[in-house]
Amino acid sequence: MTQFLSLLLNGISLGAIYALIALGFVIIFKASEVVSFTHGSLLLLGAYSIARLSEPLGFFLGAVVGVAITALAALAIERLIINRLRGAPVISLAIVTIGVDIILLTELIRRIGSDILNVPHPWGGGSFRIGDVGISQNRLIATIVAGVLIALFFAAFKYSSWGVSMRASAEDGETAALMGIRLGRVSALAWVVAGALAGVAALFLVGSPTPGVSPTVYTVALRAFPAAILGGLDSTGGALVGGLLIGMAESFAAGYQDQLLFLGRGFGDVVPYIVMIAVLLVRPSGLFGTKELTRV
Amino acid sequence: MTAAPGAAERTRPDLPPVEVEHVSVRFGAITALSDVSFTVEPGTIHAIIGPNGAGKSTMFNVLSGVYKAAEGQVRFGDARLDQMRPFQIAGIGVARAFQNIALSGTQSVAENLMLGRHHLTKAGFIAAGLRLPRATREGKRHGERVAEIAEFLELGDKLHTPVGVLSYGDQKRVEVARALCTEPRLLLLDEPVAGMNAEETSRMAEAILEIRSALGISVVLVEHDMGMVMSLADRVTVLDFGRRIADGTPAEVQADPEVIRAYLGSGDDISPSETADAAAPGDHPSETPGMHS
Amino acid sequence: MSETTAPPAQGPARNVDRPAVAAAPRRSWLRPLLLVVALVVMLALPLYVEEFWLRTGFAVFGAIVGAIGLNLLVGTTGQLSLAHAFFLAVGAISYVFVSGESGGIGLADLSGLGWPPLIGMIAGVLLAGLAGLIFSPIAARLRGIYLGVASLGLVFIGQHVLNSWTSVTGGFNGRSAPEFSLFGFTFGNTDPDLFVLGVPFREAERLWYLGLVLALAAYLFARNLLRSRPGRALQTLRDSEVAASVMGVNVQGYKARVFLVSSMYAGLAGVMYALSIGSVAPESFGLEVSILYLAMIVLGGLGSVGGAALGALFVTALPLIFQRYADVVPLVGGPGEGGLAAGEAARYLFGLAIILVVLFQPSGLAGLAARFRRKGRDPGGVRPTGHSSAATSSSTSNVPSDRPAQGSTT
Repeated sequence: MTQFLSLLLNGISLGAIYALIALGFVIIFKASEVVSFTHGSLLLLGAYSIARLSEPLGFFLGAVVGVAITALAALAIERLIINRLRGAPVISLAIVTIGVDIILLTELIRRIGSDILNVPHPWGGGSFRIGDVGISQNRLIATIVAGVLIALFFAAFKYSSWGVSMRASAEDGETAALMGIRLGRVSALAWVVAGALAGVAALFLVGSPTPGVSPTVYTVALRAFPAAILGGLDSTGGALVGGLLIGMAESFAAGYQDQLLFLGRGFGDVVPYIVMIAVLLVRPSGLFGTKELTRV
Repeated sequence: MTAAPGAAERTRPDLPPVEVEHVSVRFGAITALSDVSFTVEPGTIHAIIGPNGAGKSTMFNVLSGVYKAAEGQVRFGDARLDQMRPFQIAGIGVARAFQNIALSGTQSVAENLMLGRHHLTKAGFIAAGLRLPRATREGKRHGERVAEIAEFLELGDKLHTPVGVLSYGDQKRVEVARALCTEPRLLLLDEPVAGMNAEETSRMAEAILEIRSALGISVVLVEHDMGMVMSLADRVTVLDFGRRIADGTPAEVQADPEVIRAYLGSGDDISPSETADAAAPGDHPSETPGMHS
Repeated sequence: MSETTAPPAQGPARNVDRPAVAAAPRRSWLRPLLLVVALVVMLALPLYVEEFWLRTGFAVFGAIVGAIGLNLLVGTTGQLSLAHAFFLAVGAISYVFVSGESGGIGLADLSGLGWPPLIGMIAGVLLAGLAGLIFSPIAARLRGIYLGVASLGLVFIGQHVLNSWTSVTGGFNGRSAPEFSLFGFTFGNTDPDLFVLGVPFREAERLWYLGLVLALAAYLFARNLLRSRPGRALQTLRDSEVAASVMGVNVQGYKARVFLVSSMYAGLAGVMYALSIGSVAPESFGLEVSILYLAMIVLGGLGSVGGAALGALFVTALPLIFQRYADVVPLVGGPGEGGLAAGEAARYLFGLAIILVVLFQPSGLAGLAARFRRKGRDPGGVRPTGHSSAATSSSTSNVPSDRPAQGSTT
């Protein structure tokens, strides 16, 4: 039971981080119809920047600047490339983000090399315990911060003019444009927010129990993609639920891996994808995604 | 079932009526169609009209299987169209020309038209990939028929042109030609003359009449050009806000107070326009293209 | 439905003498001539060229097969897939398992069937197809973009399974690939010794011809496919699933089938990869392989069979050439010399090229080639005005949308 609770708690905390990434993924899709395969390397960029900057600037300033760099990188991608491709086929847009991803990832991996960069979180690698149920302090703080950010996001999405215009443009871009909503601005802001969320996710993803910043962080970030898909690519609520589901599934599979050894070592790493495929088999548009109205 | 007045002299013997009964369609909280019924008699030209947002295209999407009706039935002989997927509906001889042109712009006219032969042909991946003789023969034979249909719609000289570079009017004609290439028993035309000029409109109107009388098939038409509807259609169903508000001959519908009210409110004009008069059948019988062999 | 349903007598226009539509417009004699010359050069190449180039050539042939397969799925049908590496892996590993011998390497006990390599190659293709078939219910139901992310899962799940299944795959260490042979003729250095015009024909020369034949077959099959009934159906469903379906195409069935065909192409490419490298490990089939294949078809030109071949040539050969000429190519250094490693330099280039192609030349190298050809023949000739051959032309940008929110009104 203790182990179960422990895994549950860790799963939720991991899921909260995934949800941040998935949320960015979803709002980019809603605002600009782009499935951003750049998101993994954006996250790695955030992690790398924070690790490099927290030495000269100190942790907090380093983290803030690192998150800002990630957000600005996302903005640059949107302004320089995506914005020029308005109206292009969804698949071309996805492919162009893969192109960006290749460059960014190659550069980051070259810079990181075989090192593991350390991010000096002031809360260190300690863990927080209630009885026998434990969670790393890093993850606990991550959960709280993610919770606050997600709440803020949903409030902004619901009430701010940006949120309203974004929902309107996702609903029907042409009409929204006629009503005076500037689609370019909505899209740019969505990328900035998504970049910042990825930066924050990176900050916590490279803390305990993860050893630090290495190229494998990219692979971890990719596991947030299934979260977005299984929740439904165009559903912000789905991203949250998907993130939590994926986080818990991964945590349980890793925690009970001795019992699951017949499925191979490291089974936990692929559980997100298995969950995703299982969900898609039943619901091709994800749990909360807009269903196709047309039959073909 | 007797053919309605005005139907083709020689209605296809295997042509049942289309019976739409109490069809409702909902998208979430929005009701796009509610309790709509009408019958398309064999061999007639049946128009569905109504102001913008009346549910005409939704009705077409139900007839072709793209939307699922929440309630009601659509029968075409023994077939229940409301329970079939679009490709199955195409397989029993229902063809549709889209309002927004839905052609493959990078493919040639011939290739787009050959798609219409899809359900009449069989070549699969292996036969096609290996160029088995039967696949080649099949392609050739159907290519000849496609060329005939293209000729009929005055596209004969554009067969190998990519559709994307054709003029709008030509693309609309390719749409209709592609639907014809399926050898339909029931032809659904979604605003076939939208955006066309007067001359193109009148030629299209003639073509539609010719199709009906030469093939003896039923035609269902959604159209905004009121003159064209009134001169072409044997029967008219009027929709407004997803409901059927009138159904009858063009003359009956035009005199219906509720129809007039609906159209006054919308700013559209129910009375025939100039262009439509030009399209009236019998005006240029001798110019009918390629029909008399 | 019978082919004879076309009722000639019922047609609106009978007896119109028209050439068959299936026959394309008249082409110049230049094209076949060029093809023949190219073929002769390809056949004669092993007589003149050193081993490095022949080995590179065989790797390129394998990539051509794989890229053509992926292009059928992504370029022609508009279904984004990142799972190609997985199907390559299935093909490669099936080959080494079926044709490899049992035995131990180090700690691992390997099992193998020891069957003839031809059977192994066929098994590689079929088993990759089977893997595709298992996934195809998902592939058929998902829209292109959902498939893109879902197929990402296949790569990771596949790697996990293959790494865990050590008796077949050799696990992290991999296992060696048996030499190919055809009815007793081996594609190795000896057995039999072979000289042609005084030039020794060893493994590299022999594999070159094998690769040439397989790539040519893959090319012709795909080209025929695209010019016929199934190809038209696939291209139409890329542009609009609704339109394809309304015209009688079983959209889900076709998406499933093209996924199957694409995975079989990948299987053959995987077998060729195994032969080219001489050994396989699950590690060699990661996500980056899928991405490289995507780069090939984007650079070459989505939807174009010849483009896929060009892209495969470019993407496969470039890193190898960088590596060999590290001292000549600017910015690129050999191992330990500083500067960019060859692979890195190539990846930057691919990333940049993908972006530039999507932005400025959506029809890729194939489109570029077509433009040159047209310039020579009829300046100002017709050119489809599509934004990208991957999706629609301008005329189909307002198709009966696959997002029918706006289609719900009249």
